[in-house]
Amino acid sequence: MPKSKVYITSVGFTKIDDHWEKSLLDLAVEAARGAMKGTPKVRPQQIFVGNMFSAVGAGQEHLGALLASALGLVGVPALKVESASSSGGSAFNVAYSLVKSGALDSALVVGVEKMRDLETEEVSQAVAMAESAEYTQFVGASFAALNGLLARYYMEQLDVSRDELSSIPVIDHANAVNAEHAQFRRAITPDAVSRSSMVADPLRLFDCAPIGDGAAAVLLVSDRAASGAKKKMAEVLGGRIATNEFSVYQREDMLDFNATREAFKGAMAQAGLSTRRLGFAEVHDAFSVVGALSLEAMGFSKRGRGSKDAKEGKYNMGSEFPINTFGGLKARGNPIGATGVYQIAEAFLQLTGQAGKNQVEDADYGITHNVGGVDTTSVVHVFGRAT
Amino acid sequence: MAIQAWRIKDRYYRLIGSRCQECRTEFFPPVYTCRHCGSEIIKDQEMPKEGKIMTYTRLHEPLPGFEAQAPFYLAVVMLDNGARVLTQVVDSPDESVKTGARVRATVRRAKVDGDSGQIIYGYKFIVIS
Repeated sequence: MPKSKVYITSVGFTKIDDHWEKSLLDLAVEAARGAMKGTPKVRPQQIFVGNMFSAVGAGQEHLGALLASALGLVGVPALKVESASSSGGSAFNVAYSLVKSGALDSALVVGVEKMRDLETEEVSQAVAMAESAEYTQFVGASFAALNGLLARYYMEQLDVSRDELSSIPVIDHANAVNAEHAQFRRAITPDAVSRSSMVADPLRLFDCAPIGDGAAAVLLVSDRAASGAKKKMAEVLGGRIATNEFSVYQREDMLDFNATREAFKGAMAQAGLSTRRLGFAEVHDAFSVVGALSLEAMGFSKRGRGSKDAKEGKYNMGSEFPINTFGGLKARGNPIGATGVYQIAEAFLQLTGQAGKNQVEDADYGITHNVGGVDTTSVVHVFGRAT
Repeated sequence: MAIQAWRIKDRYYRLIGSRCQECRTEFFPPVYTCRHCGSEIIKDQEMPKEGKIMTYTRLHEPLPGFEAQAPFYLAVVMLDNGARVLTQVVDSPDESVKTGARVRATVRRAKVDGDSGQIIYGYKFIVIS
């Protein structure tokens, strides 16, 4: 089969919020229709749903066919793709690979998660399923606990301060102020982070991405299908999924986010780009420490410098290389299986000049970085302006 | 949960992990493939019961079933054979739970199974110096 270029022609998403009035399917349909209405001439040949725990959150599985039927696309093949909180990025990667290979001319990717129907403890349990049931959940370790263990190790081994660790959540909140789909649209200070309630010492509430409901969708097309679309498009230049040793506490060096390093290297090699060409990054900062270690693994910061560089302004809007341009996981929000697709939709807005007050000027290329577990699965994609 | 825990009770009660028969690296929890040399020739091995804390946290927002224990300490412990265990640290004064502290394994009530009410036991560690 011929290899094709791959473009995103349109995106759709809901605001991330406590959507008490809307179901999992309501949210998925709203996002999917948004993406499909943007490119009315293209009918998706396959649907990929990114979702982690609809079975627990909504008592619902078989999301592919459920969504296809709801969209009036009965007959279209449709699957759910799951890799914990990188489910959205993974669903996109499968779709991208198939369009690139020539097997599909168009694909719809929808990420969705319904978290708020659960009690907070039940959400913790659902998210903890990303880790070992027998040896991590068994001892009572939530996902926040694993990140707390990692944060202390990072701070003690590499001499990182409380205020430095707070710097990435502060950037996220600053960038979300003008992002209409963001869950928390107000700026915070480092002080607010260090005064927020303790979750898993040393991690506090404002180190941790919030709980929220949301869905995001993107429509992918081959160059053949794109020729009729005549739209502002973004090109997908590369994408790679990598995995790491499953549990962070079993890794020889817990501070080395090897999956993120390999996914980034692989995706950039496919794109044929050097790091300095990148104009922005959407980084998976489910916890402040994860954002910092990911920036280090991708080589944007040296080891131990991720939070310090953020504190010095290296990643602010208006800098050479802003991150999390609509608020990242901390402030835009983190509806688990949808997060990776939100990131990709945001990259599309940046590269098609539709980012409004959050527009990064003169960015020709950007990346999205989506993670399941503590760097257990990492998914990186590279995007450029369509020429 | 009850059957899942019963199946691996020796691992929970006696810290039965793995030893690679080729490079002799030891692991807990058990592995299917040696993380060090890639060998698939792996046998069960009882772990030493002492080690030291590599890093720790105090968890304030517990998982369901652990509410009565919160807040509680969790630590990554490096056992004296180099294997690493994620574990609760209990019955130890707050100031003693530190990076580098020596700890020893014990058996404690881990949780009460939600469906059957069965009490599940497992390893926890205590600071000894």
